Amino acid sequence: MLPSLQHTVIPPEDEALRGPVRAFLREALRDVPAPVRAKSWMGYDAAFSRALGQRGWLGLTLPTEYGGAGRSAMARYVLVEELLNAGAPVGSHWIADRQSAPLILKYGTEAQKRFYLPPICRGEAFFCIGMSEPNSGSDLASVKTRAVKTDAGANARGQAGWLLNGQKIWTSNAHNCHYMIALVRTSGEAADRQKGLSQVIVDLSLPGVTVRPIKDLTGDSQFCEVFFDNVALKEDALVGAEGGGWAQVTAELAFERSGPERIYSSMVLFDEWLAWIRTPEGKSAESTQLAGKLFSQLAPLRALSIAVTEKIVKGESPVVEAALVKDLGVTLEQLMPTAIADDLFSRDVKNVPLSLLQSLAYVTQVAPSFSLRGGTRDILRGMIARGLGLR
Amino acid sequence: MTDDIFSKALQDLLDAHCTPAVVRAVEREGHSGQAALGAAAAQATPAATDLWQAINGSGFANAMVPEASGGAGLSMADAFALFELCGRFVVPLPLAETMLVRAWAAKRGVPAPDECVGLDWVETSAKTLPQQPGLGAQPGRQALHAAVIAAQMAGALQRVLEMTLNQANERQQFGRALGKFQAIQHQLALMAEHTFAARMAAQIGCAGFLEFSAEVSSAQPCASDRLRAGIAKARASEAAVVVTDLAHSIHGAMGFTEAVDLQLFTRRLHLWRQTAGSESYWHRQVGDVLVNQHNGAALESLRAATDLATNSPAITS
Repeated sequence: MLPSLQHTVIPPEDEALRGPVRAFLREALRDVPAPVRAKSWMGYDAAFSRALGQRGWLGLTLPTEYGGAGRSAMARYVLVEELLNAGAPVGSHWIADRQSAPLILKYGTEAQKRFYLPPICRGEAFFCIGMSEPNSGSDLASVKTRAVKTDAGANARGQAGWLLNGQKIWTSNAHNCHYMIALVRTSGEAADRQKGLSQVIVDLSLPGVTVRPIKDLTGDSQFCEVFFDNVALKEDALVGAEGGGWAQVTAELAFERSGPERIYSSMVLFDEWLAWIRTPEGKSAESTQLAGKLFSQLAPLRALSIAVTEKIVKGESPVVEAALVKDLGVTLEQLMPTAIADDLFSRDVKNVPLSLLQSLAYVTQVAPSFSLRGGTRDILRGMIARGLGLR
Repeated sequence: MTDDIFSKALQDLLDAHCTPAVVRAVEREGHSGQAALGAAAAQATPAATDLWQAINGSGFANAMVPEASGGAGLSMADAFALFELCGRFVVPLPLAETMLVRAWAAKRGVPAPDECVGLDWVETSAKTLPQQPGLGAQPGRQALHAAVIAAQMAGALQRVLEMTLNQANERQQFGRALGKFQAIQHQLALMAEHTFAARMAAQIGCAGFLEFSAEVSSAQPCASDRLRAGIAKARASEAAVVVTDLAHSIHGAMGFTEAVDLQLFTRRLHLWRQTAGSESYWHRQVGDVLVNQHNGAALESLRAATDLATNSPAITS
């Protein structure tokens, strides 16, 4: 049986970060309209990421010797909560800050840490995640992209390394990233499943790498196909243990699933709508009740997300709890646009502000992705079932 | 942790004295409705009297009475674990409410009742007192009632989840345990999600009400108490519908019998959902606070509702 999560407190020293972050965001996002802010962490702005880096707000949890701020995961929770609620365009650095940097810190060599982490903290090195392949989605252990060890003699540059061949797909933001951390097969066959998988850092500017954006249903091109055709990687492209890729990816996914981005994806829309139903024109008994319903679901989710963060602060790896909060969180994120649309279109919409309708249109279209990215609903429920002792 | 010691002791007591057989006996005597809801004093019927004597003798009814007055001085947040146990054992008497009444009486120097009573005891008693805020006033009493019912619902929901997991692991069909079927696994995952959310909401509901805190002698009930209690009761009531529905589905016809304990919990959960305001009632109340009393971003309202009462430095923006 899964132990319950305890209502907990954000320590004052971490809360103290909120004021400065909010002041910065008020200034930085002053002229950004709501329908743009509604993109949340699917909004990309490299200059904005560098501005965060200049203030020491990237790599917040990394040690100072690698350019980080040496703060706790709870401090990062406060920072991220502010960024997401404001609708800041955090997409450029999001993956590097959330999971690539912690992964390199945990599994990388000293040289890798010194090479990759400082530019991540400056907002100058963006990462993407190479997990899914055309025939490996939820069944991630079936990846076929392969890195073959090459010895010094067999390589044109006279260096030992890896020869990478294969294809990744649904890779968010690959066309704007400098590096990919890819899960690849380094030994064995597909039938070996989790055995023989490793993680390699691929410099996306290398010869043989082709990145092709895919247009999504909102009209944006955020995810990509990435092809590897005899890409020559140096020996130190391997991160962590050879053959240890599966365990590393599992740990990485705990970072990916536990954050407040799994409850706040529709918050800009919610705030826009809330402002409207507070006006004399927008106010109605039905919308007040709906606001109470959405808020009553959101409040315990926030407390659950903070409780999961506290477990990470304590050095635990709350994989199952994170899956549980993510599944609950995205359910609410997806309820928000449908319920708000029902409220607005149950009456005359000619008085509804255009920016609210535009935000609604975007979030309505993007909402299906909420329960795909970071693990589908069915995968998460399977993980919860395992945590409950059913598997 | 002080409250761990208390909750272990209460668990042992209820294990011994509040068995499913005792719950059935008290319910047969007519206590399943009103008494468990805290709406009236328990009638002096044999099973109810025996149970109350065991509980009263243990001193748990004084858990929230200030230490200076001979109690244990637990705050609402401390007492959450005890309320949750009342739900876990579907205690068929208003024990949780009596804890609050005794604390309220002790703080005001009013003679406390020796019997097990609901919160409306205060209404009768308060008529003889000068105007009292908090529990003495109807809105405060209703919010407190909602919070304490939600905490008990959290305990009952957890128990229903455990019973259903047990059933899924033991019951064999088509040559394997029910819990090996993916459809059943996903239903149980959903039950766990709702149970976790309801329990966290119930903790939020009990995080305020500082009038019951030993360190605070004269705290007024604050607006966020009502907001928190509303969140707790609304979320627990929503969860009750999903969790009881799936629990009965997975238990099959056996779970529909009087003999199987599941019914003690699911019937009570429906009763508690109907007590102190259903989810729609509290959605309207919470919405009223959010729309008509708060301004600005929802995050500030969220912080007011979910940060612990001692940790809400307002950010002016």
